[in-house]
Amino acid sequence: MFMARDKVDKKYAVEYGEPVGIIAAQSVGEPGTQMILRSFHLAGIESTISTSGLPRIIELVDAKKKPSTPITYIYLDERIGKSFDRAQEVLKKVNEVRMSNIAKRVLENFSKGKIKVILDVQELQSENLTARQVASRIEKELGKVDATVEEGGIIINMHTKNLKDIRAASIKIMKALVSGVDGAGKATIRKDDRTGEFYLVSGGSNIEGVMAVDGVDKERTTTNDVFAIYRLFGIEAARNALGNELKRTLKEQKISVEDRHLFLIADAMTASGTIKGVGRHGLSGEKKSVFARAAYEETLKHLIHAAAYGEVDPMKGVTENILVGKQIPIGTGSVKLAIKKEDLAKIKPKDAKKE
Amino acid sequence: MADENKSYVYVNGKVIGTVGNPAQFAGEIRSARRRGIISGEVNVSFNEKLNSVNINTDRGRIRKPYIILENGQTKLTKEILAKLKSKEINFNYLLRNGIIEYLDAEEEENVLVALSERDITERHTHLEVDITSIFGFTINTAPYPEHNSLARHAMLANFTKQAQGVYATNFNQRFDSRAYILYYPQKPIVTTSAYDTARISTHPSGQNFVVALSTYYGYNMSDAIVLNRAAVDRGLGRSMFYKTYVDEERRYPGGQKDKFRLPQPTADGYMGEHVYSKLSEDGIIEPEMEVAEGDALIGKVAPPRFLEENLGAGGLEEKMRDDSVVLKTGEKGVVDSVIFTESTGATKIVKVRIRSNKIPENGDKFASRHGQKGVVALIVPPEDMPFTSDGIVPDLLLNPHSIPTRLTFGHLLEMLAGKAGAVDGNIIDGTAFSEAGTDRITAYGETLKRHGFEAYGNEVLYDGITGMPFKSVLFNGVVYYNRLYHMVSNKIQVRSRGKVQILTHQPTEGKARQGALRFGEMERDALIGYGASLLLKERLLDQSDKTEVLICKNCGNLGYYDHIKKVQVCTVCKENSFVPVEISYAFKVLLDEIRSLHIMPTIKLNE
Repeated sequence: MFMARDKVDKKYAVEYGEPVGIIAAQSVGEPGTQMILRSFHLAGIESTISTSGLPRIIELVDAKKKPSTPITYIYLDERIGKSFDRAQEVLKKVNEVRMSNIAKRVLENFSKGKIKVILDVQELQSENLTARQVASRIEKELGKVDATVEEGGIIINMHTKNLKDIRAASIKIMKALVSGVDGAGKATIRKDDRTGEFYLVSGGSNIEGVMAVDGVDKERTTTNDVFAIYRLFGIEAARNALGNELKRTLKEQKISVEDRHLFLIADAMTASGTIKGVGRHGLSGEKKSVFARAAYEETLKHLIHAAAYGEVDPMKGVTENILVGKQIPIGTGSVKLAIKKEDLAKIKPKDAKKE
Repeated sequence: MADENKSYVYVNGKVIGTVGNPAQFAGEIRSARRRGIISGEVNVSFNEKLNSVNINTDRGRIRKPYIILENGQTKLTKEILAKLKSKEINFNYLLRNGIIEYLDAEEEENVLVALSERDITERHTHLEVDITSIFGFTINTAPYPEHNSLARHAMLANFTKQAQGVYATNFNQRFDSRAYILYYPQKPIVTTSAYDTARISTHPSGQNFVVALSTYYGYNMSDAIVLNRAAVDRGLGRSMFYKTYVDEERRYPGGQKDKFRLPQPTADGYMGEHVYSKLSEDGIIEPEMEVAEGDALIGKVAPPRFLEENLGAGGLEEKMRDDSVVLKTGEKGVVDSVIFTESTGATKIVKVRIRSNKIPENGDKFASRHGQKGVVALIVPPEDMPFTSDGIVPDLLLNPHSIPTRLTFGHLLEMLAGKAGAVDGNIIDGTAFSEAGTDRITAYGETLKRHGFEAYGNEVLYDGITGMPFKSVLFNGVVYYNRLYHMVSNKIQVRSRGKVQILTHQPTEGKARQGALRFGEMERDALIGYGASLLLKERLLDQSDKTEVLICKNCGNLGYYDHIKKVQVCTVCKENSFVPVEISYAFKVLLDEIRSLHIMPTIKLNE
């Protein structure tokens, strides 16, 4: 959702001095209390179980660098998306398969300087790979070795009997990428029931890599990893992604919150140009007022810092004004006297001069 | 695991070995227990999933007796029952001879229990002693629990504990700190077997109310109830409240001790003559004296808290501090009895028991035995209550909306049964599962019909105000109600102005300290969200801890007014141009505390 100023109806524009932040907090907080009690999962269709409900909201609001369950929705070009077979071709290119996924065991023979990789035939077939392909992949990965396919596995001749090299190689083999995009995660094909189109869902968040794959629709492909979007498309996209993620998570829990509250949170988190969490290390910890910060968390730290650096509290916020007992600069308190009564008397009306 | 085919044997959670045939092994232990070879307190179970045999002999396991079945035949045969009846044998005989055994929660997983003799098949291993034992004791005090929702059972269990009644027959001799005695307890018309086994009927905790399922001008919305003034005046739900005040002549290090006596006017903290006016010569109040809040009950003087205060000239009377026990705010009553006793440390103890009447009033809590609670919202004069053509006026009007959503059908059944029992002059048995619900309804209906009532308990009721019959017939009957000990008169508290805390100058908290209600953070947020800045300031400052301080124009520190020299002083810069500023006292304390950390906060003022 993007709200251009000219598109907003004047009727819905908030008035000057409206405490939108508090209202947003209350609007999210009140239905949020229901979420703690019932964090249910939708069983069945959703094969990739993603963090949902309150834990996900916390994750977003705290601006965690990596979501605990990254998901990328990979949409395909119009022609490809209609055919299951062609979608499967793209899947093969995207789906991240590592040696550890298809290898049952890796046996090291230090005396002969050889490594034997026993492959899981079933896994191999389900990934549409042949042992030959895997062998050539290993040769590429390690270089200067010969990999030959034999019954039950692949024999790798290391041409060295150095213990350290062999062990390092075997670890490298297990981590090696066999096919797919690095960091794309395990992908599956889904069908959109509405349009009948096929698309991919993967448990990773390397959208940059995924978008480079032929046949992937770069305009529609998206992820739930806000930072991945920020790195690739910049802060405005991240702001939208953050807002949409919040919106989606709440909707999933059947909680209806006005979008503008959520996007206000997203705005506040991204206003500085980078994504900041709302907590102690983010927005609350960066308030200008010493008192407001001290009232939130780590009271002593802020007071001592203020003393050491001679900080001045500008007394512009809500918290600090409540603390000292002043009228808060919000709502009816945001109005100030433009001119004093005594000063008004000094001004002579222009008409009076003429007379 | 050493051997995949063997299972571990645990005794009280610790592995002692393995066994090859676990099911048989457990069976052998069980049969040994039944034959009395090993203690009847041993329970054994075989967990197929974990492939383990658990033997438990420790304490704290909840166990329940079951009749043992063998090949689908109960071991509690008719001959044994006859012997039991003639007192030839007793219950322990059954235990010793493997007729009844106790199972714990773990062993229950290994057995199949038949609920009644009719249900027994070859597969069953045990039989319930009585079907009501699938409920706990408290639930069994409720009639027809099988017709109520489980959530309501949990509530019932709580309410039963809170019911006022005759909690002990020697309540007259007891000095409980708080006690509630119902004046006219009745045994319920609809009883259960639990009332007999536990003999609750001899000291019941409720009364049979005539209840009509009817609204009353919106006065019984959402769990509010309407009571009949005539019934209340005749003693419905009336109870007595005992409260005991205790004080002790304490000894202090240094040989000093407290003394029960009328405090001298010179005593520190003397509250004024009127406070002690009801005390007798020995400083203790006399029985049957009417007392109200602020009256002293036990006069006591204590030595001063600090030694220096007692350094008066020799020969003069020792300076003492008043430490009398005063009746708390909002309380009143009559002194019921006063006792003198001694503690284990040989110090004198005085106990004063205050008695007061608690007549049902708006805000008192009542509950039936179906987890249906309600708060009195209106006590209606009898002439304004609905009445039947027989002139029956209900004691209580229950909102019909409180039944369907809570699924307490037992409540309706009790109304019908109570009505049938009342017109017939019979006690009706409402024990769980003792009869089918439909059979009960027909039986009660027939009784009602015999006495000229409608079989389903419905009657035409007339509006007490207009005298016109209601368009619809109303269901009414007799329900056993408990008066719970949550009563407004013990909880009500008001304050418009009052005490403040010394440290922060903010109002105190809690009823005992005449406290105010907290305007908390969420309430604060609501006002901010509304933008009501001046209302917020009034709540948080003007009506709380507002103070005026002098702020030095020169250095920004706080100054003070020297009342002797009649000048304003700044201790930091010695200037004397100040601005009086209103701040919260809490902020002043904060500044003081920051200063105590050797940090100098200063206030810069605009203009």
